[in-house]
Amino acid sequence: MSTIELRQVTKRFGTFTAVRDVDLSVRAGEVVCLLGPSGCGKTTTLRIIAGLERASAGDVIIAGRPMNDLRPEQRDIAMVFQFYALYPALTVRQNIMFPLHHERLDDATAAARVARVAGILHLEGVLDRLPNRISEGEKQRVAVARAVVRDPNCFLFDEPLSRLDVELRQSMRGQIKSVLTNLSKATVIVTHDQLEALTMADRIAIMRDGLIEQVATPHEVFARPANVFVASFIGTPQMNLLEVDFDGMEANKGVFKLGVETLRLTVDPLVGRLPKGKVTVGIRPRALAPSSAASPETLSSRAELIEPMGAETLVHTRLAGGEDIRVVVPRAARVKAGEVLHLAADARQTHVFDQSGKAVRS
Amino acid sequence: MSSNPGPAPAQALPLLERLGLRSASGVGTAGWGHTGLAFVVSFIYFFPVLWIILTAFKTYEDALAVPAKFFFAPTLDNFAQVFNRSYSAGAAAQDTGFTLYFFNSLFISGVSVLLALAIGTLAAFGFSRYPLKGNDTYLFMILSTRMLPAIVVIIPIFIMFRVTGLAGTYAGIIALYTVFNLPFAIWMMKSFFDELSLDVEDAARIDGSSDARVFLKICLPQVWPGLAATAVFGLILTWNEFLFALLLSGVGTRTVPVAMSQTIGGDIGVRWGLLAAIETLFLIPVIIVTFALQNQLLRGVTFGTIKR
Amino acid sequence: MTTADVPVPARILQRFATPRWSNWPAALAIFLAGLPLSIAIFPPILSFWISAALAALLAVTLIVNAWGRHIGGLLVTPALTLLFLMNVFPLLWSFGLSFFAYRANRAKAPAWVGLDNYTKVLSDPDVWDRLHNTVIMVVMTVSLQMVVGFLLALLFSKQFPLRRYLLILVLTPMMLSFVAVGAFFRYYYDPTFGLLSQAVRAFTGEPFVLMKTVWGARAGIVFADAWMWSPFVMLLVLAGLVSVPKYLYEAAAIDRVSAWRQFSAITFPYIRGLLLLALLFRTIEAFKLFDLVFLLTNGGPGTATETIALRVYRVAFENNKTSESTALAYILLFTVIVLTNLYLYFASQRAKEV
Repeated sequence: MSTIELRQVTKRFGTFTAVRDVDLSVRAGEVVCLLGPSGCGKTTTLRIIAGLERASAGDVIIAGRPMNDLRPEQRDIAMVFQFYALYPALTVRQNIMFPLHHERLDDATAAARVARVAGILHLEGVLDRLPNRISEGEKQRVAVARAVVRDPNCFLFDEPLSRLDVELRQSMRGQIKSVLTNLSKATVIVTHDQLEALTMADRIAIMRDGLIEQVATPHEVFARPANVFVASFIGTPQMNLLEVDFDGMEANKGVFKLGVETLRLTVDPLVGRLPKGKVTVGIRPRALAPSSAASPETLSSRAELIEPMGAETLVHTRLAGGEDIRVVVPRAARVKAGEVLHLAADARQTHVFDQSGKAVRS
Repeated sequence: MSSNPGPAPAQALPLLERLGLRSASGVGTAGWGHTGLAFVVSFIYFFPVLWIILTAFKTYEDALAVPAKFFFAPTLDNFAQVFNRSYSAGAAAQDTGFTLYFFNSLFISGVSVLLALAIGTLAAFGFSRYPLKGNDTYLFMILSTRMLPAIVVIIPIFIMFRVTGLAGTYAGIIALYTVFNLPFAIWMMKSFFDELSLDVEDAARIDGSSDARVFLKICLPQVWPGLAATAVFGLILTWNEFLFALLLSGVGTRTVPVAMSQTIGGDIGVRWGLLAAIETLFLIPVIIVTFALQNQLLRGVTFGTIKR
Repeated sequence: MTTADVPVPARILQRFATPRWSNWPAALAIFLAGLPLSIAIFPPILSFWISAALAALLAVTLIVNAWGRHIGGLLVTPALTLLFLMNVFPLLWSFGLSFFAYRANRAKAPAWVGLDNYTKVLSDPDVWDRLHNTVIMVVMTVSLQMVVGFLLALLFSKQFPLRRYLLILVLTPMMLSFVAVGAFFRYYYDPTFGLLSQAVRAFTGEPFVLMKTVWGARAGIVFADAWMWSPFVMLLVLAGLVSVPKYLYEAAAIDRVSAWRQFSAITFPYIRGLLLLALLFRTIEAFKLFDLVFLLTNGGPGTATETIALRVYRVAFENNKTSESTALAYILLFTVIVLTNLYLYFASQRAKEV
């Protein structure tokens, strides 16, 4: 069974803890993305799975076998490095064939495998070239080919698309996803680009400062973020986060004081159990819509900067108290700078986070 | 987060890693086991040098003892004799002039290395930033002068020095050693300058810095490893140079290697302790400089032919 | 003021005072004319100083003219001048000298003999014998250096505790003075007192005589030379080994590649060029082998270890056949030049390939 399991994995470098008590389970055929800002420990975690770093504590279990004491060559895994790690003195064909030496296949079988993989990744034309003579995108595909030509326990990708330009990234995302779907092995991809994670992953593990903040499907992390960090990290434009005073519930609506204004917003019923005090309210720019008139349920803010984005327009607005709110409106709704908008929030997409940053949600 | 199956079992590294013998940090590093092997090899390699240093602390009898003495009563006598020695039996000890010779070596090597660095760096900058027609030819010629056997130029230079009265002067030998170090300095620094990105310099120029300022404040700090490597190699070369120093230095400008060769002859035969003491003292400055700059040495040795 | 108003002398002065590119022919003319004149007219010391003054004037003119416009040339000139004075000029001089018969210890003026010196040298069986010696010793010492240097580099290629300090230990032989090495190795090889002999005696009971036999003496020199210079080869190879990116080895580990294959497919291509460089460079240096031979055996026993460089020295300073020695030296130079060209050719090849 191709699975990966991490139990309470911790990694310390001297006094610095890079990875803290990480628990993660990857099923066969599942693609899990480790997503987070730089320095959050995602690459270290990947390298621990690969065996290139040794965990200070915790267990690494691949295909059901504990792998803590095993070196990378004993783990039967495949990895695609951020810098591709193509062997510069070997041709593309030889690069792809390199891992097969260990399996001692006869020449015909090996050649057939290489040809098949080269076909899947459209590398037929460059098979006899050296790595320094192929394009960035081709190098990437060769690195992937070298990984998929084997039949390993799992696949590990370290920032696979970070070095490609935007167009290439789009096409490669699709190609990698389709290659992976056909192989049904546990896969872990490390990336700092949320778009990559959202499109390629079956589940995303968001990391910060060595801790996993949330592990869930892309939809889940978007629609039901576990805390403020995840909420602000996922989704562009960034979610609006307002620090308000919670003043209890009234007629099933939460009462929030923002400066001198009072807001009444429809929120999750569990919010009613919160003590009065400071909370954070999060509303995504696309969850706000301008309404015709002011009301206790709308935020009145003045439009400052208009950013046309094509089919939509991003409007930067400012509340009376100085906080800025971003709202995305359809192109048709022409908003002028200086205009005062009354923004109403979609009840299903209004998030409340308690003082510790945790989402309050049933 | 997935469910927590309970506290993690105690982490035990395999035995070798726990003892620190094999490295636990992955590929490319090694533990104390490797250090042990390296220590044995290094010690064997270093042994002849070690013997010289030990001999410096031995009396004359101990030095020639058969079987060889590894344990002996050390004496600092030889070191004292480096500087004050009696030249014939029964005579009073007189100043050997070694303080002057050490100073000469330091002075001559130091100045010639600095000069070579200065002139060579400027020339390298010129070759790199303002390529002339026939740049490659100049560079080839410069490098090939380094390949010359000393023996070929020794006679004309000897005559030249005689005629111009440079023989025996500091200026003469310093000029010669500077020329020894120039080719290497130019090649080394040129490769460094070639690799600098021009954007920073352009930005500085736009901000109004003069060419000199750009060179001093922006280019030089970035090529410091090259300067260090050139300095170390130049120092090693001129420090131990023997042939030209023998023929071209006078009594006042004699360097230590020449003086050393003169202690070998003499009626008492080789005074091993004395020679060892001189060499030990002579080694110290070079070792200090090399140790301090050893990281840069790796870069320097390849003449910039490795592209990173 | 129009040019017509300014008196002629002032105009001339003005013309020279402003830096213009057209000044330098005039300055050059003055120098070339003034030099022989001053030598002819004035007494030696005075003419020397006048010539120096004219040269200084020429130099200043050139600098002023070139400032800001030909900066590249300016920067490069001091180095090129020094190199020319100290290297090229003596070379040309001695090259010319090799066509004359000249002995430094006799007052006779040099007499033109054309290629006589060269034919004498090339037909001298002694010379070919020395060449033979040199080649044998070069091959021996360079092979030894390459092997030992390579192994040492492998040893130091990983990061391990105390690496910095052990590396210095291994580099020390390079830093010793030839005088010390020569003297002490002569001592080490000594049959009675030498460490080597004592060690052998502990096993066989017989004193070990090394330097008295032909091959023994050669081995002794080769060993000392290789010991001194293997660290240099080590540095070269180590620089190559260290420049291999770590992630290539990581990828190879994950690909379950055997150690030998890792070496041949990943490491070797990186160091191949450097190994070649080390080989050529050390060969060129080895051909110039002089100091150690002079100090260890002085060419002995007999002439078995006399290298060509030592022979040049002998002919020049002991036999005082100055011009013959220059001819011989030039033959040596020719060999070195051929090797240098090879070296540079491969260096530029390597620069292109990586």
